[in-house]
Amino acid sequence: MASKIVSFTLNGRETEVIVKPLTTLQKLLREQLGLTATKAGCKQGGCGSCTVLVDGEPMMSCLLPVEDVEGQEVTTLEGLTQNGELHAIQETFYEKFAVQCGFCTPGMVMVAKALLDRNPRPGRAEIVEALTGNYCRCTGYEPIIQAVEEAARRTNGHGV
Amino acid sequence: MTTQAYYLPQSVDEAISLLAEHGPATLVMAGGTIAMPLINEGISLPEKVVGLRQAGLNYVSRSNGTVEIGATTTLTRMLTQEEIPLLGQAAYHVGGWAIRNMGTVGGNLFAPPPAGDFAVALLALDAQVVLVGEDGQRVLPLAEFYTGFMTTALTPGELVTELRVPVPKGVTVYLKYGRRQANTPAIVSLAAHLVLDGEKVTHARLALNGVGAHPLRATRAEGVLVGSTLDETAITEAAAAAAEECEPFTDPIASEWYRRKMVNVYVRRALAQVAG
Repeated sequence: MASKIVSFTLNGRETEVIVKPLTTLQKLLREQLGLTATKAGCKQGGCGSCTVLVDGEPMMSCLLPVEDVEGQEVTTLEGLTQNGELHAIQETFYEKFAVQCGFCTPGMVMVAKALLDRNPRPGRAEIVEALTGNYCRCTGYEPIIQAVEEAARRTNGHGV
Repeated sequence: MTTQAYYLPQSVDEAISLLAEHGPATLVMAGGTIAMPLINEGISLPEKVVGLRQAGLNYVSRSNGTVEIGATTTLTRMLTQEEIPLLGQAAYHVGGWAIRNMGTVGGNLFAPPPAGDFAVALLALDAQVVLVGEDGQRVLPLAEFYTGFMTTALTPGELVTELRVPVPKGVTVYLKYGRRQANTPAIVSLAAHLVLDGEKVTHARLALNGVGAHPLRATRAEGVLVGSTLDETAITEAAAAAAEECEPFTDPIASEWYRRKMVNVYVRRALAQVAG
């Protein structure tokens, strides 16, 4: 089968990979690049645990062929940590106990990042709406919503 | 067997030639929200796949009272177009944010029920589907595009390239009932388009999804509404007609019996909303 070279920006770095046809971005990240923050949950686009940002837009990496992101900018949870410092959203998730088993967390944090990038002062309803595609089976969502609210408060409308 | 080739044509012409070259077994994919889950599960094992994301079909334009929507325009894009509010409401009821960023207007025509909550609005608006193949282009009313469960009027080698939606006059309503508030499969979803002249209904479209092999029009109910004044009797009669003429199924979401009951309830609610 004809493998292809695909170039894109991954967490700010120019990246070139060789992939078999129709390899998903999720599989590439986890199995070829060792970036395992992006989770492999349902592989149906149903749970949101594999959410990454493509040109700033949340997408399900389990449904996205790597060839489709040629030339685009992909951000995963690993891309949020700068110089070993937790990102504001990661900090508030930690403080508000928005992480229990942790499986949904990377997807939740990426959607929160996309939301706060667009809308630095979201209301509760907007936060809930943004997170509807991401399932959490531990927390009951309340601490997650509070963590996003707190991240917005902490950055005082300056975005994250 | 894994996929041997994934093509990303840069134009419709290139996509059509690829389909002609590689034959009818080639899978056509746009946003991947229907095809990729089946591939990930090993239920679908396409040898060759043509992806349409880069084929230049991502656009919304308006001409002569019609909105033209490229087939790979995302559902997220539908939320921000202001020409036809019903399309925004329908798009909002599909998946969550990430799914709407991937799922496309054209792809939703191929969503097996109870998915298809966007296409039901296209049906209520008398949308036309543009099909392009090697022999050129043809345009079909969406109602004629559907032929059965996961079958369409599309012939081998053809692609859906565009939806043409007349800007509606009158009133539109979209309602969806599922087991959760959002990101949920439909028990029933409904799109209605009514035009009134004074108190009299002169045009009625009532489209239902989740209660048939594909989104379908409740034509008998529409017949009851046209000429009526949307009084209590007409609403009751139309809701009963829709519940009788739909063809619901039983799945893990809801039973056939329950879906039929809910068609009655939701048609009544939609019409009551119009009647005010």
